[in-house]
Amino acid sequence: MTTATPTSATVSSDIRPPQAGNAHPMNRIWNAARLNLVNRWTVYWIPLMILGFIWLVNLAIWWIINASVGGADRTDAMDGTQWSGASFYIFVYMLVIAVQSMNMTFAYALGLSLTRREFYLGSSIAFVLLAFSYGVILTALSYLEEWTNGWGLGGHMFTSVYFGSGPAWQRLFIFGAAMLFFAFIGALSGTIFMRWRTNGLLIAAALTTLLIVGAVALITMTQSWGLVGEWFVTSGPQGVIAWTLLPTVLSGFAGYFILSRATPRG
Amino acid sequence: MTYNPAHHPDAVVRVRDLTKRFGKVTAVDGVTFDIRANTITGLLGRNGAGKTTVMQVLTGQEFATSGDAQVFGESPAENARVLSQISFIKESQRYPDDFQPKHVFESAPWFFENWDSDFAARLVSEFRLPVNRRIKKLSRGQLSAVGVIVGLASRAPLTFFDEPYLGLDAVSRQLFYDRLLEDYAEHPRTIVLSTHLIDEVSQLLEHVLVIDDGKIIIDEEAETLRGSATTVVGMRSAVESFVAGRSILSREGIGGLASVTVGALSADDRAQAARAGLELSPVSLQQLIVRRTHVTEKEFENQS
Repeated sequence: MTTATPTSATVSSDIRPPQAGNAHPMNRIWNAARLNLVNRWTVYWIPLMILGFIWLVNLAIWWIINASVGGADRTDAMDGTQWSGASFYIFVYMLVIAVQSMNMTFAYALGLSLTRREFYLGSSIAFVLLAFSYGVILTALSYLEEWTNGWGLGGHMFTSVYFGSGPAWQRLFIFGAAMLFFAFIGALSGTIFMRWRTNGLLIAAALTTLLIVGAVALITMTQSWGLVGEWFVTSGPQGVIAWTLLPTVLSGFAGYFILSRATPRG
Repeated sequence: MTYNPAHHPDAVVRVRDLTKRFGKVTAVDGVTFDIRANTITGLLGRNGAGKTTVMQVLTGQEFATSGDAQVFGESPAENARVLSQISFIKESQRYPDDFQPKHVFESAPWFFENWDSDFAARLVSEFRLPVNRRIKKLSRGQLSAVGVIVGLASRAPLTFFDEPYLGLDAVSRQLFYDRLLEDYAEHPRTIVLSTHLIDEVSQLLEHVLVIDDGKIIIDEEAETLRGSATTVVGMRSAVESFVAGRSILSREGIGGLASVTVGALSADDRAQAARAGLELSPVSLQQLIVRRTHVTEKEFENQS
């Protein structure tokens, strides 16, 4: 039988995998990235709609403040919105996307005969793309907020003190790097669950808690809370965010090695 | 009992002394077998016998504890060259929560170079699968149809179907068998079908592997297996004298009638049986496997 099927073409004592046109390693990794983005609703439209809703609610609140308070009190209140955490939701959403990816998309990817390595590298590319695109969107919104003088009401949602008001590249860096931080922390948690299930997560949470308590104890004992505050002020948002790149990268590598021996179980 | 399968030069799957343990549980216990290229092999056995675990090792989803599993001459674990040739459809396949079937049919073709989208579209309409409904909301049968369609349309050189049709009705199962055979005839490839509906698939199978309690207990051509047993029915005395000295697989009887299942019969044997007024009937693959499993278990018990 001399058919076109790759396997029958090589009936020898040692059948090698036939060369597949689609099996180019980079293609497979890129397709693994696309696997995370195939449902646009999940990765863009729904989170943006929720963000839009939060923005509307904030708008309403700013309007109420403007309508009911006058003079110095109004300025005071609107200045207070600089500390708004209204857009934090989008970062948590990114974390959830990454957790789900390492959980369900991983199981699906193995079902499509991807290797764990291809899946993880591809997913990392998808996270970087998502972080970048959300960075661009949030940066654009922060400028819009400035140009409209806080949506005409002096409110702050995308220009809060956590994001600073530096040049465009700096804002893009802050938003993007923060997104990446949440993505890879989520990915790490997801891989820990895949590899060691609930027990793994519990131990990881316990270790993290111990680390935080230890750090708090250390700072308190040495009476250096003042120094910590000073560090935050002098570093500025971009400096603090730059430091998150360290745990981001560490999580990224850890996730790779943890997932490399993980298996989804139904 | 040791098995020495013939060394098949055209084996695409070659398993030697493969063992997989989960903690203290040995799911696969030193199995050795080959799967030849361009055949349909049935991987049969009871629930929990180790079928899924074997396939998971062969598709790189689980890592072997010991022994050797080669697919296309290489280890499948984390091997993109090998895995890109494999399609593994399993009953327990999970999909992202937010997926609809259309997302599956959009993304699956990226990973199978032989993917036939016309064929997939035809199957979607034949299985009446709603492609715009959340996968979580699909019925069990519709969920199985998603997998079956991916498995068929992917035309991977090596395709595993692990209990692919849980919840599918008889009409849909027949549709699956029909399309599988048609497409297999046009595009020969290696197919491994794991199921407990043995009689339904027995006509499809060219080779049969039976796994029980983590061990391979039957590794034979389906044709040989089908002819390997016959049930002899007739008057007790005539049946007894005919089966004397033959290997007996099972024995039943009511009053003066006896029904005895024996091993393979030659043409002469059959003529002799006819002269003695005995009725011969073939044993279905399912009955045969049930009996052989039983016999083997007894052998194990006697040895230990």
